[in-house]
Amino acid sequence: MEFQDFSLSVKDIKVGEFAEGLAQGKIRATQCEQCGTIYYPPRHDCPHCFTDKMRWIELEGEGRLISYTTIYVPPEHFTTDFSKQAPFARFSYHPAPVGIIELENGARVLGWIVGVKPKELQVGMQLQPEPQVLPDGKVTIMLTPGD
Amino acid sequence: MRKVAIVGIGHSKFGRRSDASLRELAFEAVKASLADADVALKDVESMVVSVASDEFSFSLQPSAQIVDYLNFNPKPSFRVEGACASGSMAVRTGWMTVASGLADLVLVVGAEKMTEISTPIATEIMGKGGDSIWEYPFGLTFPGYYALIARAHMARYGTTEEQLAQVAVKNHHYGMLNPYAHMHKEITVDEALNSFMVADPLKLYDCCLISDGAAAVLLASERLAKKISDKPVWIAGLGLGTDTLSMTGRRDLTTLSGAVVAAGQAYKMAGVKPKEIDVAVVHDCFTIAEIVAYEDLGFCKQGEGGKLIEEKRTYIGGDIPVNVDGGLKSKGHPIGATGVSMAVEITKQLRGEAEPGRQVPHAGIGLSHNVGGNGQHVAVHIYRRED
Repeated sequence: MEFQDFSLSVKDIKVGEFAEGLAQGKIRATQCEQCGTIYYPPRHDCPHCFTDKMRWIELEGEGRLISYTTIYVPPEHFTTDFSKQAPFARFSYHPAPVGIIELENGARVLGWIVGVKPKELQVGMQLQPEPQVLPDGKVTIMLTPGD
Repeated sequence: MRKVAIVGIGHSKFGRRSDASLRELAFEAVKASLADADVALKDVESMVVSVASDEFSFSLQPSAQIVDYLNFNPKPSFRVEGACASGSMAVRTGWMTVASGLADLVLVVGAEKMTEISTPIATEIMGKGGDSIWEYPFGLTFPGYYALIARAHMARYGTTEEQLAQVAVKNHHYGMLNPYAHMHKEITVDEALNSFMVADPLKLYDCCLISDGAAAVLLASERLAKKISDKPVWIAGLGLGTDTLSMTGRRDLTTLSGAVVAAGQAYKMAGVKPKEIDVAVVHDCFTIAEIVAYEDLGFCKQGEGGKLIEEKRTYIGGDIPVNVDGGLKSKGHPIGATGVSMAVEITKQLRGEAEPGRQVPHAGIGLSHNVGGNGQHVAVHIYRRED
């Protein structure tokens, strides 16, 4: 299985514009116009000011890897249905690692780690968050070593 | 507020209980608790039920099934929920009911039946226990959330996979001695380290069991407790703390801040310090969770949890015996029952009634630490033998 099978489905919520941003190559947070707090994942409402006066800001730059894991026992709807496979078929499962990076402004971004060998992953390394539009039109976020 | 004591305890066998329904499991535990207290159900004035998940029970009102089967109607009963800490929420709610004067004798029962569905479906249900919009779509599972905690703890403090395995070895050792435990199997560090990877760095033996089971406690007011019991165990302190559902919303992945808050409240209310605790049960849903609990509860300094297990200081005979009932790891984790099972275990320990080989000598003060979700709700309770 490849990471394309997983995607964010957030179009039908108040911060659904987030998905449009990803499709345009932008990872965006919201920022409260009153207290200035930055929210990622984006929020439509500020729980400090109880206002919905929020602006979209683009998250830029690399971030420091806070933690990561590779999940070998996936949940039901991410598994391949073994029963539909031909007899003697070989099943090979190569999950992508996931991780959390912290950007300079403090926002923490979760994403699929792509382009780094699992054995080379280290807490503290720099990774670049990148939106990705999947073949089915859904969007997701990757963390890559950058240029 | 009135003082509240545990005067009766009951526990079903935990395990893959394909022989019994949810209501039948709960009945086993309730029957044992009534016999233990030598009271009749007609004397119980109010009931609190903990079943954590509608998804596992395939029903919207699993608690009503339990209440009906006991023929408890029309007396007051209701269900409380706090994910895997539901059982402790029920104990807390039962305590409130007695402490407030609403009732003198309250039955608290926790039950869960989890093994009717496949592991991938159970993994999905529990994975969605995290942030189902923003984090679950990245394939995160419950082991996945705790793997992120483990990796962060290892990177900051040098905690090792061997130390994680040592937690599993200890809990399997004590689970062998607990007749109610799901699994009776000693394991070695090598077996744990060589078991298959679930969510790197957590392997099979780092993860707790998916179990069926039930537990019950009877809570009584001081006047009634002294009348009906010659060995009441007093609830001396309660704490409850919370943290974000979202893992990206937390500033520090190496601690459960809700546990630190809950422990602070419970220690203050009971007027005791961490070093005065004689025996503890902590929420070892994963081995890393036990190490983090040592630190959050003040049994050692931040970052020294790995060393605590490595030096066997949480075995009986060490500074602070932890999970000598086998823990979630080996006793099993029927999620709604777990918090109530913790209250049963501490009561047994403080009465001096734990099975041979796993009784902490002269235990006078006990503590339970029960985590809901990946740290959303943490309940810490402190119990005393002495009045």
